[in-house]
Amino acid sequence: MYKNILMFLATVFIVTFLLVSHTTVTNLMWLSSLDMPVTISTILTSISHDMISMNSSGAVPAAALVAIGLLISFAVARIALIWIKINRRYAYAIAGGCALLAIVILMPLAFYNLDLIAGARSATGKIYLIASGALGGYYFGFNLSKKEN
Amino acid sequence: MKFIKLYLLGLLLLANTLSANVESEYELETIAEGLHSPWGVAFPSEDEILVTELSGSLRLISSGGLISEPIQGVPEVLFAGQGGLSDIVLHPEFDSNKLIYLSFSETDPSNKNLNTLRVIRAIFEDNSLKNIETVFLATPLRKTAAHYGARMLFMNDGTLLITTGDGFNYREQAQYLNNHYGKMIRINDDGSIPEDNPFLTTEGALPEIWSYGHRNMQGIAQNTEGTIIFENEHGPMGGDELNIINPKLNYGWPAISYGKDYSGALITPFTQKEGMEQPNKYWVPSIAPSGMTFYDKDLFPQWKGSLFVSALKPGDVRRLILDGEEVISEEILFDDIGRIRNIITAPDGSLILATDGKNGKLIRVKPVK
Repeated sequence: MYKNILMFLATVFIVTFLLVSHTTVTNLMWLSSLDMPVTISTILTSISHDMISMNSSGAVPAAALVAIGLLISFAVARIALIWIKINRRYAYAIAGGCALLAIVILMPLAFYNLDLIAGARSATGKIYLIASGALGGYYFGFNLSKKEN
Repeated sequence: MKFIKLYLLGLLLLANTLSANVESEYELETIAEGLHSPWGVAFPSEDEILVTELSGSLRLISSGGLISEPIQGVPEVLFAGQGGLSDIVLHPEFDSNKLIYLSFSETDPSNKNLNTLRVIRAIFEDNSLKNIETVFLATPLRKTAAHYGARMLFMNDGTLLITTGDGFNYREQAQYLNNHYGKMIRINDDGSIPEDNPFLTTEGALPEIWSYGHRNMQGIAQNTEGTIIFENEHGPMGGDELNIINPKLNYGWPAISYGKDYSGALITPFTQKEGMEQPNKYWVPSIAPSGMTFYDKDLFPQWKGSLFVSALKPGDVRRLILDGEEVISEEILFDDIGRIRNIITAPDGSLILATDGKNGKLIRVKPVK
């Protein structure tokens, strides 16, 4: 149980990092296209800033949002696995993808189509974030299988 | 030491007395209440007020505070998010031509998922609007119901300034001249393009653009001579700005900003860049500035030459004391009446405040008799 919680927290961290760094980097890429002085140091300090700030001073902490999404979708996946015979890694990967899909598609519907996660404003951004959720889910399922084998 | 203490005590007492005197110079009178999110205010005559409600109605309030039924002929608006029936201004020759201008958000008739900002003009006669004409339509259309700008001002040269917001999701577009996101627009009273607009001959630029790089401009005012155009705009979390608007200039959003995104992320790590204007003043944390008026009447001589900015957060009015274009100090007024959506100078020199919300009020600030 204790190990499962640690694995879940690690998954939340991975997905949150992918979400935050994507928002930061795509933003800096656009600023760079305007000839703003974006350096390696700017990239590193901005990612560090956003990792802290998006989890402490934003409207909703990014990690909490990811954790709630993953918790619900992993619980559904766990129940589904009772009846559906599918490799656990893929089941949790699908669940992780669905969690992020809900965050990037459903959340804006509640706020007049406003994308509160800047990185999710474009279609490619949405796909990337869904893939990040799937990657996190795969990681969780992989470790779960490894532990139980 | 004792002498210094006494001197400081004396100064404190003097400051308190002066402050009490200023407050006792005005009183607040509720003119009308029960308005649904009053937004724009105009004065068709000395004793009548036209007020827009964001929910889509235009009403006439008589001197006795009687609120009319909705004025007939107002187009259907998109009342969602921050959208709805927004500002109203009168034509400079309203007394003879009866023309009024309304800004509002509307759904695209061919695609219900899209909407935009439209500005119309119409003749206001017999409590209805006639001969409605569109003078401006923001393009491209957007999916979001936020950041419309929608404030208007007739400059002293007779041209109309219209603010357009960045649409929230489309903030980067404020830096490009081929769209209406985050721009100050300048048109003639009939919607045609003035011949001296700054981007008239710039390839790929929309000719009605006056300035760019704005976020969500909610207040616009000019000094008596019309030589200075003041504009305020909402920043994200922090970074609300007061700017002096000049043609062709880039005001920087979102490449430079003193605010952060609502998610907590940096919108930009930069606050300045050559070729991008600095705000004359900025507020961190945000005050959510809304309306704005330059006071040049005689009813409150002590306020003459000040710029008044109404604010939604936490809800007050900022009196900005100016030295030319420079803000030299700020005084907080009317901080006990809630969120204030607009402030406007009435023809008699009193100030009119419009409070925000479903039970919005119009409140007159007048001298104590």
